[in-house]
Amino acid sequence: MAETQLADVFVELADTLVDEFDVIDFLHVLTQRCVELLGVSAAGLLLTDQQDTLQVVAASSERTRLLELFQLQTDQGPCVDCFRTGQPVSVSDLASAGRWPRFTEAAAEVGFASVHAVPMRLRTEIIGALNFFHTDPVPVDPERLRVGQALADVATIGLLQHRAIRRREILAEQLGTALNSRILIEQAKGVLAERLGLAVDEAFTVLRSYARNHNRRLSDLAEAVVTGAVHIPPPAPAVPTG
Amino acid sequence: MDRRVRLWSQILAYGNGRPVGVGDVCAAALATVGVDRAAVTVLLDATPRETVYASDQVTVDLQELTLTLGEGPGLAPPATGPVLVSDLATPESLVRWPVFAPAAVRAGVRAMFVLPLLVGAARLGVLDLYRGTPGGLRPEQLADALALAEMTATLLLDGADPAAPGAPRRWPERTAAQHPEVHQAIGMLTVQLGVSAAVALIRLRAYAYAHDRRLRDVAGDVVARRLRLAAESGTGTDGAAP
Repeated sequence: MAETQLADVFVELADTLVDEFDVIDFLHVLTQRCVELLGVSAAGLLLTDQQDTLQVVAASSERTRLLELFQLQTDQGPCVDCFRTGQPVSVSDLASAGRWPRFTEAAAEVGFASVHAVPMRLRTEIIGALNFFHTDPVPVDPERLRVGQALADVATIGLLQHRAIRRREILAEQLGTALNSRILIEQAKGVLAERLGLAVDEAFTVLRSYARNHNRRLSDLAEAVVTGAVHIPPPAPAVPTG
Repeated sequence: MDRRVRLWSQILAYGNGRPVGVGDVCAAALATVGVDRAAVTVLLDATPRETVYASDQVTVDLQELTLTLGEGPGLAPPATGPVLVSDLATPESLVRWPVFAPAAVRAGVRAMFVLPLLVGAARLGVLDLYRGTPGGLRPEQLADALALAEMTATLLLDGADPAAPGAPRRWPERTAAQHPEVHQAIGMLTVQLGVSAAVALIRLRAYAYAHDRRLRDVAGDVVARRLRLAAESGTGTDGAAP
């Protein structure tokens, strides 16, 4: 991983921390950059629901089986351990580690052999975890894990939108907002899948493209799609080039 | 899971054998969350908001005041997370709600916690909790409040379906959490049935209950297009060849 590549990503993420901030899109971009920078196969971001479980809020791919694998970690798995201990969790070969039987089996079905989780920390509080998978049973080198932790810290900052975090009320409000935003996006995916005859993961791409092209926040657009206030037209068919 | 078991047991105890209602959930809130007043407002689609439960006259008055003034933390639930106000007497509160805040303080209310009852775009209602002494909620109290808000939402959804007298309510399955396909199915149903997200959610739950199936399994069938709900609730076609 070149230093300039790393610097570019941090500049890109810092640039998004401005007034028209779209937190869900930011977290989605961050998970995609994790995949590129850390050389992993997939990345997912889970947040506490402030009751007792973790919820997926963003992932590098909207493939349903991948989302389910992340979400399986509601009460068992590397993210849960990471969240509870506040320490990174790394398992370079799930099959031989013998931890989390249900999760290991599900990961194997999707083709993942190794997993890592780093905590999202706000001072002494852990608010979630950033989760990476790889298809190869190899360790991730320590330097890359350090970058992973830095990206988790950036995600935390982005989530709190550099507001004064003196009061935990703001944290609670932001976490609740992020989780409901994710639900809005899932509902919008369903609407678009039905209206446009798409698979749900394709629907996310359509939603996101429209949001960017029309300069709207993903979660606001998602709600408008579900209430019917906005009708997104079918994507134009790709024009062959050359 | 322990939290919900504990809270649900408490609610059933307040119900004392009759079908439990939102009043019983509010009683549990008063007992566990460290608040002394509670109210539940129903939104459900285009109907004007209606307070369906208030613990005492002061609560009724504050609810009416919010509507009359068009001002206050509980006015319109943001399509987001909770609104947690630890002290209505601070300068910040007085700036945000210049008429409501002093009136609330005069009425003996200093802290107010507004928990929207919503599942993405399905806006069901609001749970308002009040306290006479200033201060925020401790993490455990917030967790209990959020769990109770979800249970209130479930009761509102069950709505016109009271259990037989003497029978405890069935265990409230978490609707807002976890399974992406539940929310995707809701999105699809809004289009298939031409209804709002709230009604789509009600129909999906009604089908699951009528067929004694888990919500997530029914949702999975809808998303995979193995199941199409018919216009009347409780029925559907399974996509098999005639």
